[in-house]
Amino acid sequence: MAALSELGTPRSGPPAVNAVHETGGPDDALVRAAQRGDRPAFGLLYARYSRMVHGILLARVPFSDVDDLVQDVFLQALPRLNTLRDVSRFPGWLASIARNRATDFHRRTKPTDEFDEESASVQTGTLTPTANHVSHASAEAHAVLDAIRSLPDTYREPLILRLVEGMTGPEIAARTGLTHGSVRVTLHRGMQQLREILGRRTSPPTGGAL
Amino acid sequence: MTNNPTNPENEKLVNEDYLWDASGAPDPEIQRLESLLVNFRHADRPLVLPAELPVAPGKFRALLIPMLSLPRLAAAAAILLAAGLGLFFFLRPHSTPEAGPAWDVASLQGAPQIGTKAVAANQPAAKLHVGQTIVTNNDSRASLSQEDLGEIRIDPNSRVRLVQTDANRKRIQLDVGTIHAAIWAPPGTFVVDTPSAVAIDLGCSYTLHVSPDGSGELHTTYGWVGFHLHGRDSFIPAGAMCSTRPQHGPGIPYFEDATPAFREAVAQFDSSAENSADRAAALAKILSEARVRDALSLWHLLFRVNGAERSQVYARFAVLVPPPNGVTRPGILNLDQSMLDLWWNSLGLGEISTWRFWQQSAYPQPPPNTQPLLQKKQPPAK
Repeated sequence: MAALSELGTPRSGPPAVNAVHETGGPDDALVRAAQRGDRPAFGLLYARYSRMVHGILLARVPFSDVDDLVQDVFLQALPRLNTLRDVSRFPGWLASIARNRATDFHRRTKPTDEFDEESASVQTGTLTPTANHVSHASAEAHAVLDAIRSLPDTYREPLILRLVEGMTGPEIAARTGLTHGSVRVTLHRGMQQLREILGRRTSPPTGGAL
Repeated sequence: MTNNPTNPENEKLVNEDYLWDASGAPDPEIQRLESLLVNFRHADRPLVLPAELPVAPGKFRALLIPMLSLPRLAAAAAILLAAGLGLFFFLRPHSTPEAGPAWDVASLQGAPQIGTKAVAANQPAAKLHVGQTIVTNNDSRASLSQEDLGEIRIDPNSRVRLVQTDANRKRIQLDVGTIHAAIWAPPGTFVVDTPSAVAIDLGCSYTLHVSPDGSGELHTTYGWVGFHLHGRDSFIPAGAMCSTRPQHGPGIPYFEDATPAFREAVAQFDSSAENSADRAAALAKILSEARVRDALSLWHLLFRVNGAERSQVYARFAVLVPPPNGVTRPGILNLDQSMLDLWWNSLGLGEISTWRFWQQSAYPQPPPNTQPLLQKKQPPAK
């Protein structure tokens, strides 16, 4: 890689490409433009889909590795973009690359390679009082994340996209290529199962939901 | 969908609405989960791409397929496979998965990790390549160096990724932990991305800490550093520090030898909501406690206040450091950049042209807060 350039992550606003001249789904024009080598278009696709990719990976790999793998997924997707004939399938296609990358990660990584700096600090008792407070909340957050990850594949991905990435059900449907009905049902059932798991963990003796 | 929240059955539907699209009455349990999990959320890190887009196989497939019949394709595939396997076995003992520009890595303590590999003490040839991440745990520290740049020491429990290294810019990303940077590259060359601000070296040594929640602190020991997020800038000269928070960006920098009351007031100002009583009280305390040296903080305050508050800041600033020729009250109250730059230069903390040069190189078109949302960064003008 002789030289690098950087694409930012726009938070809002219309696409910077000539989307009005294209037909099809909302991102089809961007995908076609990216296939023609339009870098800003690919940057916009990254901006729109990086949360989805992040959520799919977070459902499967350690949090500390997710950011790097998000970059890897898009770098893998870029040279293959021209193999995608039906641009409307881009969301599902990208999601597949992300899932495959997560599988590949587990194939190549030894279990002992996982490193959690915070749990190390907790174990050695080196955290400050403020850090302890943060750590307590963080430990609870990790416990909830673990609980979501213990759910069947079908439920954990939509739940992470909804609860962690802050995407709404319609956004999840649009980004993953699933139908509204399918996402709605999986969110509902996944949430039910998550409540049961968290309730089992914390109910005795207080009986609270969390 | 409209529902009557007083009906238990409808309440369930309301909660399902919140789960579905965050509409309807918020479900407290889901809100709590969202709040707990927010730190795992995607951090909008920029995507780093190769300067040249890879060859697109789809464009060539249409040309190749008519040229080659199926048997020929099979034969070609077999030859390619054999050649590939031969090349793989020939190169395997000598090749490494990493390539491209890299920085030298040394273990200062313990065994820092690059990916899944540990860097052993006294290991002579450890490298951190672009795209790789180095992680230290509770018992390890590391040093990164590059002859054109300087040295960055990484404290325990830190995570650093090398984003870019070329003639014009060296860029790392500090996700969490602490680094100590001693930089001899030209000002504006070395950049550190953090979750809540970007630190730009302007010829200096400094310490930068990022907490797990994404907030940070920068202490400058020599020279000065620019702290930047979405058009909000803070300049931190030697002896000063500055905090930064996610979504808010850099706060007001201040000299570390300021009075405790001044420092507390700055912290309160940074963390208080706009137009709140706490913020107004903090501003009053800052102005009353400010020494001549604290003009550093007052200069930054001019950008963070509006209307009558800016007049108050101007009045106190002008008492401490009289405005130089060419600087007028109306100009400052209107945030005239050339006048603000003149006044900054009169503080003797460094020529602001260095910063303007960096801004120009990083954001060549309009100012950062008005630029198009997606803009490729350019190398500095020669």
